[in-house]
This record gives sequence, C-alpha cells and structure tokens, in this order.
Amino acid sequence: MVEDWSAGATIGGRPIPALPDMARLRAERFANVQDQLEAQGIDGLVLLGSAGVAHSTGADAPGEDAGKAGLFRAVAVVLRGESSPHLYTPFLDGVPPEFPADHVHGPLFPDLDDGIGELADALSGYFPAGARLGVDEQTHPMLRALDRYAWSDSSAVLGAAKIIKTPDEVSAIREAQRITEQAMESAREALRPGLRQTELSGIFLRRIFELGAMANAIDPIWQVMTATKAEGPWTTHGDLAYPISTTDQLLREGDVIWVDAGICHRGYASDFGRTWVTSSHLHLTARQTSHFERWRSVVAAARDILKPGVSALELGRAAIAANDGKKPWMEHFYLAHGIGTDSAEMPLIGTDLGEGFDGSLIMAPGMVLVFEPVIWDEGYAGYRSEDIVAVTDTGWVQLSGLRYDPFEVSG
Amino acid sequence: MTGTMALEDGARVDFTRLRQERRRRVLDAAGSAGLDALVLGRPGNVRYATGARQLWRSGANPFAPLCVVIPKTGRIHLLSTWDDGIPPEIGHDDLYGMFWDPAHLVAALASIPGLSEAHRVGTDSLTPFFGQVLADLVPNFELVDATGILAGLRADKTADELACLQMALTLAEAGLAALEAALTPGISERDLLGVYVETVAALGAPTPPSESVVFATPRVGPVHFRYLAGDRIITRGELVVLSPGALYAAYEGGVARTRTAGAAPTPGAIALADRCRRATDALVAACRAGNTGADLYRAWESTGERPAEIALAFGMGIGTETPMIGFGRSAGLTLHEGAVLSVQAWVSQEGVGGCFEREMLRIGEGGPEVLTRSERS
Repeated sequence: MVEDWSAGATIGGRPIPALPDMARLRAERFANVQDQLEAQGIDGLVLLGSAGVAHSTGADAPGEDAGKAGLFRAVAVVLRGESSPHLYTPFLDGVPPEFPADHVHGPLFPDLDDGIGELADALSGYFPAGARLGVDEQTHPMLRALDRYAWSDSSAVLGAAKIIKTPDEVSAIREAQRITEQAMESAREALRPGLRQTELSGIFLRRIFELGAMANAIDPIWQVMTATKAEGPWTTHGDLAYPISTTDQLLREGDVIWVDAGICHRGYASDFGRTWVTSSHLHLTARQTSHFERWRSVVAAARDILKPGVSALELGRAAIAANDGKKPWMEHFYLAHGIGTDSAEMPLIGTDLGEGFDGSLIMAPGMVLVFEPVIWDEGYAGYRSEDIVAVTDTGWVQLSGLRYDPFEVSG
Repeated sequence: MTGTMALEDGARVDFTRLRQERRRRVLDAAGSAGLDALVLGRPGNVRYATGARQLWRSGANPFAPLCVVIPKTGRIHLLSTWDDGIPPEIGHDDLYGMFWDPAHLVAALASIPGLSEAHRVGTDSLTPFFGQVLADLVPNFELVDATGILAGLRADKTADELACLQMALTLAEAGLAALEAALTPGISERDLLGVYVETVAALGAPTPPSESVVFATPRVGPVHFRYLAGDRIITRGELVVLSPGALYAAYEGGVARTRTAGAAPTPGAIALADRCRRATDALVAACRAGNTGADLYRAWESTGERPAEIALAFGMGIGTETPMIGFGRSAGLTLHEGAVLSVQAWVSQEGVGGCFEREMLRIGEGGPEVLTRSERS
C-alpha cells in the first residue's frame, strides 16, 4: 500500500506521484538541461563530478571515497539537441534500462595523461573546434589537450536546470528522505550513554542499506553541542562550529546531539537533521523544550507565507521576526537550502550572497526547501532540526517526517 | 602492533611525525618546483598536505581552492570555518572560512600572504571559474600542473604511512571476517553490505572507501563484474564476491575474496579459484621496482585469461591513488620501491560463476611484500 502523502498537491498542474516514475523523471530532467543549453547558447557539457553525471545520465554508481571516485570515474557528455547524453563508465550495472546502448561506452581517464587521448577523440567526434562547452572540472591533461573549445562552468546550465524540480523529482527526494528517517529511528533507539558516535553511524548505515538505499552521501554527524559557543571549537566568524566530523567519541548522560545525515538514493539526496538528548532516563528540561517550541515557530512563520511569488528575503524576514529579531541560523549557512542531486543547492535563503540576492530569488512551484534554523541559547546549547518542503502551485507540501523525538509536538 | 586506541606510552603511529614529514615534503617539493603557490582541491592532496580531519563526503566533487601552500612563508592555508580537526601547525590565521558568494572566497584568497605576489601557481585541478579567479588575483599568472608533484610524494610511503595502511587493511580484513560469518543462503546482497558497514563503523571507520563490497555471481548464464549491491538473495552454493575496504586516518586498506555460500566449493569453483589465484599471483610477482605497467599487462596475458574487464593495479595511500594500471593505461609507467599497491584479478566461467581477489602489497627492495593475510579464495 503506497501512502498518498502528497494528497493531490500539484506542480505546474501535474500531481506529485506517491512514488517517482524514474524513466519519466530522467527524460524530463534531461529535457530541462537541453532547454538551458538552448537558452544559454551552450553547445554541450562535459561532466566529471559524481552529482553532475548522475543528474545528466541517471546512472547509478557506488558510493565511494573521493580518491577512488576521482580515478575510476563515470564521465557524461551532453550534446545540445540530442535526446540522450553519452555515458562513459566502468559501472555498467548502474546504467538505466532505457539508456540507448550506443550511448554507453567504456570508462575514460581524464585524470591521466595517457587517458586523455580517448576523451579528446570522443569530443572531436561530437563538437567542432570553438564549440562552447560547460564543464565541472578541468584536469591538467584536459587543460592541455582540449584547448580547442571555449569552456565555461557547467553550473550555469545545471544550476538553472535544477532549481525547479519535476513532480517525479520531488517524489524521489521524499523517497530518499523516508529511508533516511526510518534508519534514524534505529539509531535513536540505540542511543544511550557509553555508545560511541561511530557506533551510531554503523547502526544508521546498516539500516539504510537494508532499507534499499543506493549509497551513503556524508559521514553522519552526531555533534555534541557545548553549552556555550566559547566551549566549542574556535571559528573564523565567532559563531557556532557545525558540523564537526564524527569520531569514536563516547556519548555521555545529558549530551545534546545535533544529528545531520544524508544518503543518495536513485541519484537524489536526503537531509536528516534533528536534536537528540543522550540519557538513560530521559528528562527534557523546560528550557530544552522551549528551544524546540521556538524552532517550530520559526519554521512555521516561514512556511505560513510560503507560496509561489514569495521572495527568499521575505521568508528570511519572517523567520527573523519569529525569533524576536535575531537571525535564527548560523553565519556560514542559511535559513534554508535546496536539495536534489546535490545535498545543498539552489535556492539558498539567508547566505552571504546577501539581501539583494535573496530579494530577487522568488519561490516557484517545484522548488524544494530544507529549512534548518538554529535556536541558540548561550549557556544552554540549543535546538536544530531540518524540515523539507516542496513549493507547489498553491503553497507547499511536506517531504520530511513530522516526528521530532524525543521532543513532542504539542497541540 | 595494530590497534586504533591511543596508548599512553606513545606506541603505534606517531601522527605528529607523520604530518610533519608530509608537510615538509610538500613545502620542499613546491619550492623545488619553483612554485610561488600551490592550490589544492583534491581531498586526498589536501589531507596529505594538512592532516586536517574534515567532513567526509562521498564521490568526486568539482575542484575548489581548499588549501593554499606558500613555500616562501612556509605556511599552509586551509578552507575551514573552525579549528576542530585541524592540527596545531595550522594556526587560526591560516584558516579561511566557507562562503556561498564567490566574491567573498576570492577576497579571502586575496588576503593570503604571498598569493597576490605569486607568479607560478601550481594546482591539482581547475574549473573555468577558478582559473579566472587565479588569473585575476595573481599578476603574470603562470599555471603549473602540480598533479605529478603530489602523486610522486604520495607514492613514496613513510614508515608512519605504512603503519596507517596496515591498520586500514586490518580493519578491512575484520570487515571480511564479518562478511564471511554472515554469508549464509537466504541473505541479500544489501543485507551483507549492511553487516560490513556496521562492522567497520563500530571499529571506528564509518566511511568506506567504496560501497561496492558484495555481489553474488550467477551459476546460469553470462557472468559480469558488478558494482552495486541489490535486493538479490544469495542461494546455496553460489560464489559471492566480498571486497571490503576501510579508511584509517584517511589511509585506505582493502581486500577481496570470493566465497561459496553455505556449501563446500564445487570442483568447478575450485578450478575457477585456482585460475583467479594464479592471475593474482602473476600480477603480484610483476610488482617490482623498475618494472613498468607493461610488465603487469604481460603478466596478465601470460595467464591466458581474456583481457581484464577491471584495473590490474592501483596505488593505495590516502584513498586510492595513481598509478592506475588497467584499461590499457599506464603501460609506460615505472614502479618504484616504497609504493603500496592493490592488485586484483577477476575471472569468470559460465555455469560456475565468478571469482575476484585483491591483494595489497608494498614494493620492497627485494620485490613485492604482500600485506594481506586473509585466507585466499
């Protein structure tokens, strides 16, 4: 039985399906890339990065450390006007079923001097000298061998193509999130004094794979928050240090933990953020509960005005007003970020890009927002969680779950 | 003496010495190459130069200037908003924070002493945007390929690095032992992957070098090497590839073995394992200082196996490194003493299944020194 979670919500007049149709998703997503190539006058893309390849081809690849992923790469070449990209990959079992066989090729090695000839040959078969190409990375062999093209950053094309999600993409993000949340239930149930952070990681990671996840995306974070900023790590800006990477740190009674984790499922990122308290006999203080209530009211203030046409600046101002005029997010982050084939992508709300940028960033159906305000109470730590919503034709629909254990939603 | 806990007598890896040696090598090599600045974006290179324990992210991410080495000042600057995980030799003044507005990042780079007076700037990769940023920041900008400098330093392992690699391999072998214990008919590939990742995480290594760790090979029809664990249920008598790895202080260990699920291997499986072992051994034997990639290709051909579908060998260090010998690449590359490699063989036979082995070795003075201890396939 598939849950009817979207309850008729639409994007561009089309309903958000309970589960994504991946073939349709890939076709529409690629059409968006083609539209941007056309609009920006770019002749093609050469993509080396894991997220860019996954976005343009829909091909799955195993989760890997940067060293391995940077040597044994999949590479995508997109030609303007073609209905399918070319995929060069060692991971043949990750190629989508509908992908045309004559567009699948053996791996390329653009990081190696004696691997660059094949890439140069392939590109010269696709593009004339002087072609305008977008690229996400230029290795030195590429810089030497491919100077016959006019290169620009592929992010201009992909950023524009990615900011509005199709109904299937929204559903895919929700599916990745659902797996993540289920796996986190196991980790939270195991949390007790004496457990190590890395043990929590193990419990979570085991569950994501059992539940069907394709890959993990980041080392899960279980940061123990200090009561004051001064007790925490030094920072360049004087604000909180977060996220701090996980170690074998032993968790102790009363530790307030800010959890942050994300997987990559069928190419889509999830983002789980919650605040937990380590205890063998849990008793939340009134102060802790008030942090949570304030966090809820900040998210609610932004969501209450969220609909197509509202600017990022208005959303930020609503959140600030709900926090008594104080900015409820960290200096190096944002009130909210987008999510898709990257774990943090446009739209970004409240960054150092500034108010001018936020004022011009207008919400539209198909944008996805991960709200992650931070309530900080100097001397008493604070509360941070993440709520994911998609902007619909008339408002928004919730993609993340509504449980905040051990905190209870009142009313 | 492999263990992950710190001991009060200072035994085991001396991380201060490990970092100092790497840092000195990077500064010396950049200076010797006539570089005024070295800008690094590959996580492995950044880790090598700084020893900073930063958030691990899966996959290949596009280049960004994560680390700036200035030989003249002897300082190494790092993109980090906080000092957690940052070794003491990198001071607060050496850190520059994270920004979303590229103009702010450019301003932070511009304030690095020595960068705006630089001329020759080495990088380990680039993007069109950051190429332009460097050209704007640096008068008479001359871009230098620093890929080989870093690769050369990283290939020659210090004693402390070797100790880390041994520890990582120990963790990988612990992962293999857990996989073997869990390999019973009826379990799925993805459940086995879960057992592996929980095991290495509990041992302190929650970020696998690769999640391509388990695949069952069919006894009917064509047999292909696969990378993605799926819902597939493993049945009695199937040959199952187990290839766990682990990272310790960013250094990678890995092993691969093939086991029969819930039964003694059939004569066909034994013969296949023999072929796999012969091919692996031939590759191991070819890993001698002075030999080239071509010697490994010849060693493979000498076994009579079909051309390999996967790489024959690759470097092991801070993650997977060059050299990468496979797919016809790096035939002319010379192997040097002190390098640590993984060599691997995959053979298959319709009606039987597939067999995959991976061994880790160090190229010593007298030839290859196999580091892997797990029982052969």
